[in-house]
Amino acid sequence: MRDGKTDKSPTGFQRPELFSGRTMGLIISTGILMSVLAVQSPHSFISKDAMFFISRQTGLAALIALSQAVCLTVGGMNLSVGGIGSITTVVLGLSLQNWGVPPWLAVLMALSVGVAAGALNGLIITRLGIDSFIVTLSMMFVYMGLRSGISGGEPYEVSDSFGLIGRESVFGVSYIFLVVGAVLLASSYMYRCTMFGRHMLATGGNAEAARLSGIDTEKTIFRANVLSGLFASLAAVLYASRNLSAAPETGDAWLIISFAVAIIGGTGLQGGVVSALGIFMGATIFTLIEHGLVQFKAVPPAYMRSFLGGLILLAVIVDRTREIVAEKRKRQVPPAAG
Amino acid sequence: MLELHSISKSFPGVKALDNVSLAFKAGESHALVGENGAGKSTLIKIITGIYQPDGGKIVCNGETLHFRSYRDSLDKGIDIVSQEIQVIPESSIAENVMLDKMITYGRTGIINWRAVNAHARKYMDMVGLDLPPTAVIKGLSAAHKQLVQIAKALAAEAKFLMLDEPTSSLTEHEADNLFDILRRLRERGTTIVFVTHKFGEVFAVCDRVSVLRDGRHVGTRLTRDITAPDLVKLMIGRECSDEHLGALDVDRSKELLRAEHVTRRGKAADASFTLHEGEVLGFYGLVGAGRTELARLLIGEDGIDSGAVYVRGEKARIRGVADSLHRYRMGYVTENRKEEGLLLDAPVRTNITITIWRRIVNTLTRNISMAKEQEIAADMVRSLAIKTAGIEQKTADLSGGNQQKVSIAKWLAADCDILIIDEPTVGVDVGAKEQIHKLIWGLAKEGRMGIVLISSDMREIIKLASRILVFRDQRIVAELKDIDDGVKTYESVSAEIGRYLG
Repeated sequence: MRDGKTDKSPTGFQRPELFSGRTMGLIISTGILMSVLAVQSPHSFISKDAMFFISRQTGLAALIALSQAVCLTVGGMNLSVGGIGSITTVVLGLSLQNWGVPPWLAVLMALSVGVAAGALNGLIITRLGIDSFIVTLSMMFVYMGLRSGISGGEPYEVSDSFGLIGRESVFGVSYIFLVVGAVLLASSYMYRCTMFGRHMLATGGNAEAARLSGIDTEKTIFRANVLSGLFASLAAVLYASRNLSAAPETGDAWLIISFAVAIIGGTGLQGGVVSALGIFMGATIFTLIEHGLVQFKAVPPAYMRSFLGGLILLAVIVDRTREIVAEKRKRQVPPAAG
Repeated sequence: MLELHSISKSFPGVKALDNVSLAFKAGESHALVGENGAGKSTLIKIITGIYQPDGGKIVCNGETLHFRSYRDSLDKGIDIVSQEIQVIPESSIAENVMLDKMITYGRTGIINWRAVNAHARKYMDMVGLDLPPTAVIKGLSAAHKQLVQIAKALAAEAKFLMLDEPTSSLTEHEADNLFDILRRLRERGTTIVFVTHKFGEVFAVCDRVSVLRDGRHVGTRLTRDITAPDLVKLMIGRECSDEHLGALDVDRSKELLRAEHVTRRGKAADASFTLHEGEVLGFYGLVGAGRTELARLLIGEDGIDSGAVYVRGEKARIRGVADSLHRYRMGYVTENRKEEGLLLDAPVRTNITITIWRRIVNTLTRNISMAKEQEIAADMVRSLAIKTAGIEQKTADLSGGNQQKVSIAKWLAADCDILIIDEPTVGVDVGAKEQIHKLIWGLAKEGRMGIVLISSDMREIIKLASRILVFRDQRIVAELKDIDDGVKTYESVSAEIGRYLG
C-alpha cells in the first residue's frame, strides 16, 4: 500500500517539510566534509578567520546559484548571470568613482541594472517566445563586450565605507552571510508558501497544464527572470564590497558556479523542483571542497575548472542514480491503470 | 497460435496475475477486457517481453518462448499498438511509419525517401490517413497520431498484433475504417488481440472475448454467445447501465453562454449556439470537425476573427484561460489530461487547488494557507469519490479515471458554473466511466451548471446530453433537441447524427 507521503522531493508543493530526503543527504555530506577538514587541519579550518572566510564564500556562491535556480525552476535558464554581474559592477564603479554618487544611491542604481537586465531577458523570452538558452547566451556576450569596452579593463575604486558589508562581521559571522541568509529564507518562504512561488513551480512543472489551469505563465516567467537579474546584481554589489574594488571581470566565473551549486543543491534541471535550503547546503559543500583543496594544495589552480565540471557531473550522476533506483522499485509495483 | 499457461506475476504486496491461462487462435480477433487494475496491461507487458512472468510459460506455435526484452517479441512477430501516443514529433509521418524498416540505397545507408514515402503511403491509405507522407507529426491531432501508430504496426507486418485502446481518439467513422483493416488482416491469418473498454467494438469486431478480473481469468466466451450486460457482470461482478440518466431541468430563461457567428479561419465558421443553466450540450463530430477548436476559441486560447461571445448575457472579451476562469467562471477540461490537464508530479492537493490559489492567498503575507488547501482538496476528493491514498499522493500514481476526476475537480473548486468538458472518459474503465457520467449529469441537474460536452463516443453523448450539436468541417450542421425526453431511442438519435455526418 503506497503511502501518500511518498516522494519527499524538495518541491514547494509538498507539506512544508524543510528536510527532504535529498536535502538531508546534503546536510549529512556537509557534516562529514566539515569533520574531515577539521581533523585534517584544525588550525586553518577551525578558526575565527576561517569561519569568516568560508561563510562569506558560501554566501556569495549561494546567491549566484539562487539567481540561476530561479530561472531553472520555471523551466528555463540564465546563462547571463555572470554577464549581469559584470555590467552591474561597471555601473557601480562608474557611479562611485566617476559620478561621485553616494554609496546607497550607487547600490540602488546597480540593483536596477540587474532588474532591467532580467526584465529584458524576460521580455524577449515571453513576448517573442525565444528559448531562454539563446536569449541569455547572447546577452551574456553582449554584457561581456560592454563591460570591457566601457571600463577599458581597469577596476574602479570604491570608498572604504563601501566595504562595510563585505568585510565586516558580527559575532564572527560575516554580513554577507547574513544578507544572503535573509534572501534564502525569503526565497524558501516564497516557494513553499506564496502564490507567486507556486505559480513558478507549476509553470516549471508543466507549463501547458499550468496555463490551461488559469496561471499566467508568461507573467510568471517574466518575473522569475527579473528576480534572477536582481539576485545577480546583488551578488555583484556584495563582491565589490568584499574586494573593495569594482572589477569588471567580476562574474566571469559565475556561470559554472551558478550551475554547480544549484544542481548540487537539488534544483531540477527540468523545472518545478527547487530548495533554498538545498542551495545553501550545496554552496557550503562547494566552498568547503574548494577551501579544502586550496588548503591541501590538492589541485593546482589551473585545474580548478576541471574540478568544478567534474563536481557538477558527479552531482547529476548521483541524482540520476537515485532516480533509477526509485524507478526500479516503483516498477515492482504495477501502475494504477492496469 | 499463442498460448499462455498458468502465468503468474507478483509485485511487492500485489498479485497482478494469478495463474492466467489463455489461448489465442491463429487468425482470430480476440478481445481482452477488464477493469483498470484487473491485470490487462501486465499481461500485455508479459506477452511483449517487457515483464518476465514469475510462473508459467508462453508457447507460440508449439515453441516455448523466452523473452528478455521487447525486441525479442518483435522478432517473433508480436507487435503492439499502445494506448499512449509514441511518435516522433519532429519527423514526418512516413518516417514514423517506416521507422523500423527504412529503405536505403543498397548498403550505403543513404535513405531512399521516394521509396519510403511510397511504402508509407500504402499503409497510410489502409488506415485512411489522408495527408501527405512528408507531413510533420508535431502539428497533428491526437487522433491522427493514433492512426500513424496503427499504420506503423501494419507496416511491421506482425503475425500477432495487440492493440491497446486503439480507438480512444478516433470517431466511429475512423474506427470502422480500422475494423475493416483488422478484418482484412485476420483473413491473412494475423491474430489480433484487442484490449478495449468499448463494448461496441468487442461485439462488432471480435470473435471471442476474455475477461480478466482481479488478476484472474474469469472466462472466455464467443461474442455471439454473450450479451453486453452479461459481459459487464463478468467484468465487475455487478450490473451496470447505459441508459439515459433521465431528463435534465433546463432553465431556458437563464442563458449562460452564447456564441454568435464566431469565426476563425481554419478553426470555426459562423458558429452560433446557446447554453442554458442546467443543460448538457453535446458537441459531436469527426476529428477535425471543429469541436475542440471552437472550445478553444470560447475560452480565449485562440483569437476570434469575427463574431461575439456572450457570457451570462453580457458581451465577453476573453483573453485566455486565466481570464475565462477568473473573470467569467468558465472552465475547460482538456482532452489531454496527462499533457495539458495535470501536473503529474505534484500531489492531488495541488492539482485541485491550482485554480484557486489567488482566492485563498493572504493579501499581507502572500502566504497560501496549507490548511485551507487541504480542506478544499479533501472536500473535492470526498464529493467526487476520488480513489487516492490521500490528498498528498502523487497524481501520476492515480488511475486514469481518478486522474480525470481530479482534472474536473479543480474547476469545481473554483466555483465555475460553465464547464466545457473535452472527451472526459478516454482511457477510463467502465466503473469509473459510469461515475464520471453521473458526476457530469449531476453537475447539470443539481449543480445548475451549464455543460458543453465534447465527445466522440456516441453512446456517451446520447446518454448525457439534452441537446446535441453536430459538427462537420468546422461548421455546426445540425442541432438535435430533446435527447433526454425519454421517448427517443439510442438507435434513432444515432441514425440521425449519422445522416448529418454524410
